[in-house]
Amino acid sequence: MGIEQLAEALGDNVLTTTLGKVVGWGRANSVWPAQFGLACCAIEMMHAAGPGFDLARFGSEAFRASPRQADLMIVAGRVSQKMAPVLRLIYDQMPEPKWVISMGACASSAGVFNNYAILQGVDKIVPVDVYVPGCPPRPEDLINGLMILQEKIKAQGIKPRL
Amino acid sequence: MAEGKLTQTGGPGITVTRSREEGLEGEILTVNFGPQHPSTHGVLRLVVDLDGEMVQGVRPVIGYLHTGIEKQMEALRWQQAVVLTDRHDYLQPPINNLAYALAVERLMGVEAPLRAQGLRVIMSELTRIASHLLWLATSGLELGAMGIYFYCFREREKVLAMNEEISGFRMHTSYIRPGGVSGDATERFLEMLDAFIEEMPGNIDEYEALLTDNPIWRARTRGVGVLSADDAIALGATGPMIRGSGLPWDLRKRRPYSGYEQYDWEVAVETAGDCYARYLVRVKEMRESVKILRQALDRLPDGPINVDERKMLPPPREELETSMEAVIHHFKLFTEGYSPPPGDVYVGVEGARGEHGVYAVSDGTHKPRRVKFRSASFVNIQSVEPMSLGSMIADMIAIIGTVDTVLGDVDR
Amino acid sequence: MGDEWIAVPREAIRETMTDLKDQGYASYVFMTCVDHLATPLVEPPPERFELVYQLRNMETGHELRVRVYLPESDPRAPSVHDIYRPANWDERETYDMFGILFEGHPRLTRILMPEDWLGHPLRRDFPVGGEPVEFSEDYEAWQTAPPEA
Repeated sequence: MGIEQLAEALGDNVLTTTLGKVVGWGRANSVWPAQFGLACCAIEMMHAAGPGFDLARFGSEAFRASPRQADLMIVAGRVSQKMAPVLRLIYDQMPEPKWVISMGACASSAGVFNNYAILQGVDKIVPVDVYVPGCPPRPEDLINGLMILQEKIKAQGIKPRL
Repeated sequence: MAEGKLTQTGGPGITVTRSREEGLEGEILTVNFGPQHPSTHGVLRLVVDLDGEMVQGVRPVIGYLHTGIEKQMEALRWQQAVVLTDRHDYLQPPINNLAYALAVERLMGVEAPLRAQGLRVIMSELTRIASHLLWLATSGLELGAMGIYFYCFREREKVLAMNEEISGFRMHTSYIRPGGVSGDATERFLEMLDAFIEEMPGNIDEYEALLTDNPIWRARTRGVGVLSADDAIALGATGPMIRGSGLPWDLRKRRPYSGYEQYDWEVAVETAGDCYARYLVRVKEMRESVKILRQALDRLPDGPINVDERKMLPPPREELETSMEAVIHHFKLFTEGYSPPPGDVYVGVEGARGEHGVYAVSDGTHKPRRVKFRSASFVNIQSVEPMSLGSMIADMIAIIGTVDTVLGDVDR
Repeated sequence: MGDEWIAVPREAIRETMTDLKDQGYASYVFMTCVDHLATPLVEPPPERFELVYQLRNMETGHELRVRVYLPESDPRAPSVHDIYRPANWDERETYDMFGILFEGHPRLTRILMPEDWLGHPLRRDFPVGGEPVEFSEDYEAWQTAPPEA
């Protein structure tokens, strides 16, 4: 008797799946962002977590203040030369598995500010999974980015990222 | 160490006395309130010297959001630079635009038409309300009152929806430009504004019902962060910081601009000088802003929304087919841009957190020579140290919240 | 509405500020520096750097601007942080951005740029910086991967 026949015998009370899918489903539906609001995009991130566009529906209920308890870093805002080492330090303090959403034009590519003071894109110091363009992106854009990331996490399963 | 007594008032009828026994040595512990912190309203870093839980010294370290806006504006033309002024103090974009637009208009020697002035007042007051709502939401959140966050953001969504209706952008509107405004108010905008004005006083009553007589709120904000009137002037504090200490200094009344002198409203003043007084000042300012909005909406005159100065603003598209001068003006404005005569001017407007000023220097070319922002938060942060010496570290959260800094404003 | 200003020589700054404060200009609005390198003006200013202070009398509401010209070879000025407290940070910022040295300042260090930054960003000869923008028309110039066959 194989496992599938046993499951059929038990009826609708048992689901069979692979470990990767379960882990992916669990991780994707409870992504906890670390608070990393830097500038104007942080305000739209607050709106995304607010009552109008509720981010908690997608599992991101708790914005953790400590990076050691977070999975996702939403870089919301422009990264200046003085802030770049701090950002890398916070990224290193997050435990695996971790993902990065680069929110807004300034985080993705320095946006309006092509000058000496702003890091020209946060992907120069951390690996980015999803880029959300806009200045600032609407809260719905951020939620769209989060949903794309959720698909990516589900596809990743239990394979470690190198 | 000798015996010392600290008496602190924790609220009406509550007195806390702590004394240190003789012979107990204290050690100063330096703690970093890092740039990444949930309660510092952005990337502010405070290096705090603590003796137990009492604050002995505070050194703010800023510069973590320095964007080089002033340098970037020297590389753009006068009309392009409006876009950068939005991103400077990102909680009140139209007010930043207004300061810059007034400065450039004064350099060019023009004045915006009356309908544009009315629309400018409407957008400024809406933004002031939105900024105070966000301040209230985050201050409440930091001190433990989570519910107020959701109430305030519900209203903020309405203000942002109105921003989007009139300019197309939720936040960085670039709506107020030198010469006038970028687009006229639609029927739908006026209806939304009317509905907002009708229901806003009831909403402010809700916030007050939650917080004003709440014993926990009062215990955490009364007596905390006291700033006397003389200290406020000496430190250069403006906005609710100085109005909470008893001085009725408001640029909209003392040096009115954009038609503010015709509206009937009061300056919000409290005398206690602590965090609770500044909270009351900001709530009252929201009510007064609603009054100004009502009057501005009722008196909004008809007319053009942009000054009729062809050297500054492009001609209407129909004229391009018939008039050669219109084509030349259009060409020059979109390739080179206008050049104000040489000179310098300073314009200060009343922002949500204090005096927001623009000092613009023109050398006669189509790009600015120097644009300096006199930002309210840069000066207000210097008040954190005198206000927090001798208080507890938990009070520092209330004090940083009451100063209402925006790091984009501080670091530019 | 005219902006009134007076020009004072560098040595007289502290005396002027103390006098103005006694006359009632208790409120300090801002201080900044303007770099007049390569100015196209017909009558250029006497020196390269111009320090501008703005003071305000809160009773009458009158504002006054004080200008000081500093030569390029010797950009020093006395500090007024003990007369007007908000000047403390403004002087640090002007040092950081323009390289003006303020004598008598308790702690003249960089405030906006990192501590080890070289150069003074708001001077006119400091480049704006940033990266060249990669336009899609110039694809051949910047693409690194070989084109699909």
